[in-house]
Amino acid sequence: MIRTTIALTAAIVLAAPALATARIGASAPDFTALDSNGKTVTLSSLRGKTVVLEWNNPGCPFVQKHYASGNMQKTQAAAAKAGVVWLTVNSGAPGKQGHMDAAAANAFVSKAAAAPAAYLLDAKGNVGKAFGARTTPELVLIDPKGRLVYQGAIDDRPTANPADIKGARNHLLAALGELKAGKPISLAESKPYGCSVKYAS
Amino acid sequence: MLLLRLFAGLILLCAGALPVAARAAPANIAAALVAESSRPAAGQPVWLAFVMKPAPTWHGYWKNPGDAGMETRAEWTLPEGVKAGPLLYPVPERLIVGGLMNYVYERDYAHPVRLDLPAGLAPGTKLPIRVRLDWLACTHEICVPEKAELAIELIVGDGAILPPDRALFDGFRAALPKPLDQPATFAFEGGRFRLAVPVPAGMAVSQPYFYPLTDGAIDYAKPQIARRSGDLLVIDAPARADAALTAVDGVLALDKGFGLSLRAEPGPVPTGGVLIEAGDETAGAGLFVTILLSFAAALLGGVILNVMPCVFPIISLKALSLARAGETTAHARREALAYAAGVILVCALLGGALLALRSGGEAVGWAFQLQDPRVSLALLLLVAMIGFNLAGLFELPALSFGGRLAERGGIGGAFWTGVLAAFVATPCTGPFMAGALGAALLLPGAAALAIFVGLGLGIALPFLLLGFIPALRRRLPRPGPWMDSARRILSVPMFATALGLAWIVGRQAGVDAMAIGLCAVALGALGLWWGGERQRRGRRHAWLPALPLLVAALLFVPFLSRETPSAAAKQMLGETFSESRLAALRGENKPVFLYFTADWCLTCKVNEKAAIERDEVGQAFAGKGIVTMVGDWTSGDPEISRFLAERRRAGVPLYLFYPAGGGEPIELPQLLTPSMLTALG
Repeated sequence: MIRTTIALTAAIVLAAPALATARIGASAPDFTALDSNGKTVTLSSLRGKTVVLEWNNPGCPFVQKHYASGNMQKTQAAAAKAGVVWLTVNSGAPGKQGHMDAAAANAFVSKAAAAPAAYLLDAKGNVGKAFGARTTPELVLIDPKGRLVYQGAIDDRPTANPADIKGARNHLLAALGELKAGKPISLAESKPYGCSVKYAS
Repeated sequence: MLLLRLFAGLILLCAGALPVAARAAPANIAAALVAESSRPAAGQPVWLAFVMKPAPTWHGYWKNPGDAGMETRAEWTLPEGVKAGPLLYPVPERLIVGGLMNYVYERDYAHPVRLDLPAGLAPGTKLPIRVRLDWLACTHEICVPEKAELAIELIVGDGAILPPDRALFDGFRAALPKPLDQPATFAFEGGRFRLAVPVPAGMAVSQPYFYPLTDGAIDYAKPQIARRSGDLLVIDAPARADAALTAVDGVLALDKGFGLSLRAEPGPVPTGGVLIEAGDETAGAGLFVTILLSFAAALLGGVILNVMPCVFPIISLKALSLARAGETTAHARREALAYAAGVILVCALLGGALLALRSGGEAVGWAFQLQDPRVSLALLLLVAMIGFNLAGLFELPALSFGGRLAERGGIGGAFWTGVLAAFVATPCTGPFMAGALGAALLLPGAAALAIFVGLGLGIALPFLLLGFIPALRRRLPRPGPWMDSARRILSVPMFATALGLAWIVGRQAGVDAMAIGLCAVALGALGLWWGGERQRRGRRHAWLPALPLLVAALLFVPFLSRETPSAAAKQMLGETFSESRLAALRGENKPVFLYFTADWCLTCKVNEKAAIERDEVGQAFAGKGIVTMVGDWTSGDPEISRFLAERRRAGVPLYLFYPAGGGEPIELPQLLTPSMLTALG
């Protein structure tokens, strides 16, 4: 009896979500964050533009797979060509793997020859948790009306082996292409793969 | 089950010593490829296994890694015609890091793989097996993708398996989830994913948890609620947004390292049922709430203890001395704190000793679970005895040491009074303490300790109040007969609890078991009454004649089995399966009815109740001299696993009839009727 009561109470208390789950097709949760150049970025002020969010942790081998091979940079370039605002997000907590301050983030971007519109410093994990980002890398595509149209993995090869990039289906670019062509997104959600986002526990 | 796990663990330790093994370069998780037979037979399967040994603090991943991580992949380079099956995964564990769920192995584990050899290979043919294995090794902080090129050479032979290899692979196979005999159903309702799994009501489970293989059904990190409703176990968890699935695969873990693999299809899922366990203890908040509630309940219990005839006078005396001496407020407070420290210290020590005992018990395999009718009966006895004590049937002998220390004045005296109140004055705190002990045995460690600290604080609370609020001292009631009345009244809730426990025993093990339980209580009560009577007359060794009765009452506990079989059932319980015994019976040309069952297999239980254990079947078998033989596959007995595999069966039930005079066995359908069985032979 006591156990049952304990269990019930625990269940009720725990029902409060730790990670939100953004819904595909619904409005993306708005956020305001500082980027590595000290500028404020607000999602709702980008209304009218297509936005990509990319979760990043330079220490994660799965992130390295896509940066060392140049795959992420290529994807960024292709997105930029289509007029996309690309926001790289670092939700790693201080002291955890991959957490970076502004200077380190800028150094990473220039060394990797990456081309995000901004590198957001989300050390408290607010942006990550609002979108329910679980892994690095994880990608989110937001259409000009502010709706979440894709969230998940960069591609369909959940490995850390750069050799697997060739021949993989780039889910983000596929979704972007369909969005531009006015077609429904054939794969709007996939299971992201990689390291866990190093949130403060 | 525990033994099996220990066994598997031991074997994993020795795995490195195997002859046919390929090992990779040092990594955070060391991988080795081993074969059950180095001389497999053509046209037959042979088992290989990847033996994975994580370094301390590292873990590997299940097939569905959870919120992050990666499944292990094997890329084979095999001789022509040789086919490798999928990597099999043992039942995983849960690890939450930064709010994200990981399904992992933090201990040594193994992935068995079945290799099928083509027929017609000449003996002596060399079969070079090469494989590239990719896996992810992580700590709580970082992840490292690791890989290994592994190779072994098999030579086609007679398929002989050496005993140590057989034991090794038996251990690996025992760690795999068992295939469920019936389909499960699931439904998405009101933002929740609900899964109904057929599990017999009699099957003991501990912290059930559903590990989904199909992604997108649930949010992994959110807690699951498990209920039992008759022969169904229902898992209820928050659904992932927009989840639309036509089938959900996964593993339902029923105990640490024990699970059932299942496929669920959309269908009805009943509401209601008895709650088993919510969330998991790794979720900090759940444990926190458990601790808080245990603490609050114990605190209340401790406060109640103060009116006990043995404790109240102590407090009363102290309070009077405080009031009379007209001491300074500061001194009164210091005394109150010292008293509280004494009480709490003793209670915490008691709790610590109990937890140490419990961990010792777990090591030797005692299971402290309310699902076990023996535990329920032991609790029933305990609670009934507490009730009889409170009702005044007998008194517990008082301990007399420490009194002198308590008589000393000042802070030291107050401290020792506290110790006295909590520990030495056991005549009446004892029974309540025993209740707390019982509860603490079943709760997680931190919550168990919280019970004892809460109890101590509860006992100390009135005196603390007296120390800090001087006005209360004058309002304190005087000790008197009212204390005895209070004690008698407290026996009522105790007896009510005993009633509830008797009902639980009845639900768990049947009316017969409940009668046995009540018998034990009656016997124990008789012993206590006798002893109490002698005690009142001041006899020496008052408890001597009562002792055998009490021991007899306790002896009932281990004999209580989960099911008390009827006469017909006994007829059909039959012999325990072993291949050598089966061969011997076949040698004697005796007809044999052989069946395999498991506690978690609902089809099996239904067939046993509805067909096998019926009187007419028992009589027919006795008349025809049919020997019944049973194999219990509840915890994956390796001999049965092999027998099933030889018959190309993944699991139970399996019903076989070996006719008299030899010949191939007849396989009976999975749904039996009594007439099918009476017609045999």
